[in-house]
Amino acid sequence: MRTRLLAAAAVLTLATAGMALAAASLPRPKALAIMHERHEGMETIGKNFKALHRELDASSPNLNSIRTSARNIQALSAKASHWFPQGTGPELGKTGAKPEIWQNPQDFVVKMRDFQAEARAFDAAARSSDLALIRAQSSDLGQTCKACHDKYRSDMHH
Amino acid sequence: MPTRIFHWLLAGLILFSWWSVKNHHTDWHIWSGVAILTALIFRLLWGLFGSSTARFAAFVRGPAAVRDDLSGRWTGIGHSPLGALSVIALLTAVAVQVGLGLVSQDEDGIYMGPLARLVSSDTSDRARDFHELWFNVVLGLIVLHVAAIAIYRLRGRKLTLPMLTGRAALKAGIEPMRPGKWWAALLCLVAAFAIARWVVAGAPPFGS
Repeated sequence: MRTRLLAAAAVLTLATAGMALAAASLPRPKALAIMHERHEGMETIGKNFKALHRELDASSPNLNSIRTSARNIQALSAKASHWFPQGTGPELGKTGAKPEIWQNPQDFVVKMRDFQAEARAFDAAARSSDLALIRAQSSDLGQTCKACHDKYRSDMHH
Repeated sequence: MPTRIFHWLLAGLILFSWWSVKNHHTDWHIWSGVAILTALIFRLLWGLFGSSTARFAAFVRGPAAVRDDLSGRWTGIGHSPLGALSVIALLTAVAVQVGLGLVSQDEDGIYMGPLARLVSSDTSDRARDFHELWFNVVLGLIVLHVAAIAIYRLRGRKLTLPMLTGRAALKAGIEPMRPGKWWAALLCLVAAFAIARWVVAGAPPFGS
């Protein structure tokens, strides 16, 4: 009886320790802060991309406005690598990030790097005054957003 | 026949619109919406210049006729007075849905409805939210519509076959339908394509 109780206690202690370890890898407030930063960052990228798309469709696009959007998107894309640590998926709270991100980390990282490379390429193109090049690069950039979102973002309603 | 083609085309296009957007084919979804717009304009014109059973003036009736229909006293061909309400509700709901889609943009700003440039980015985002919500209204009306067909069927009236073949048994003393002119259908179709083309180009003086 006594040994059984001890064993049960040992199992309990181990389990608690295990949970503590998992939590220790990323404290909850920190994880929530990253999730929040990710949400805001993605939304800001979206806002910049929308503004950019509209500017490019205008009869006389404002290059300065396009350059600002390009710079904003590039700067945020560089931070995006840190937005998806383990433990910031739907198990943490309301998010559009699917669990598949952490099930296919290699594919996800490839898609993330594609996005970052296209954001840099677009920023470079925006510094030129070649509207055809800017349009082509913005379309390529959009496709890297889509490639990741189609696979790794849930249809979240906010 | 144009009315029946419109009906089944609309059913197919709504199904395709739903499928394409669920599967992230946003470009197909937009073109499907433009096709629905074209079909709706055609139906509107055909409701003015088409066959006797297609004309709104002929089949949209007042509350007295709807009461007669509910108590089984209505006799006639084409849409019944109660069915007419369903037709109007469905056409209006789909028109609202298309209108919202025209000015929407997707969440990432990659795709824009053909008239999204006429409104602000925030308005486009809001229009997309309403577009998503309004689909439930369209869906609800479709469910009601199909349920009504099923209820008629249980009461012994088969409505689906006439909607495919265009043939129904005519009761004695009822005037048969007067088909529309083929050239009127053609003109309505050309007008529908022209108006839809104008919308796709970005409307007023072709975009902002």
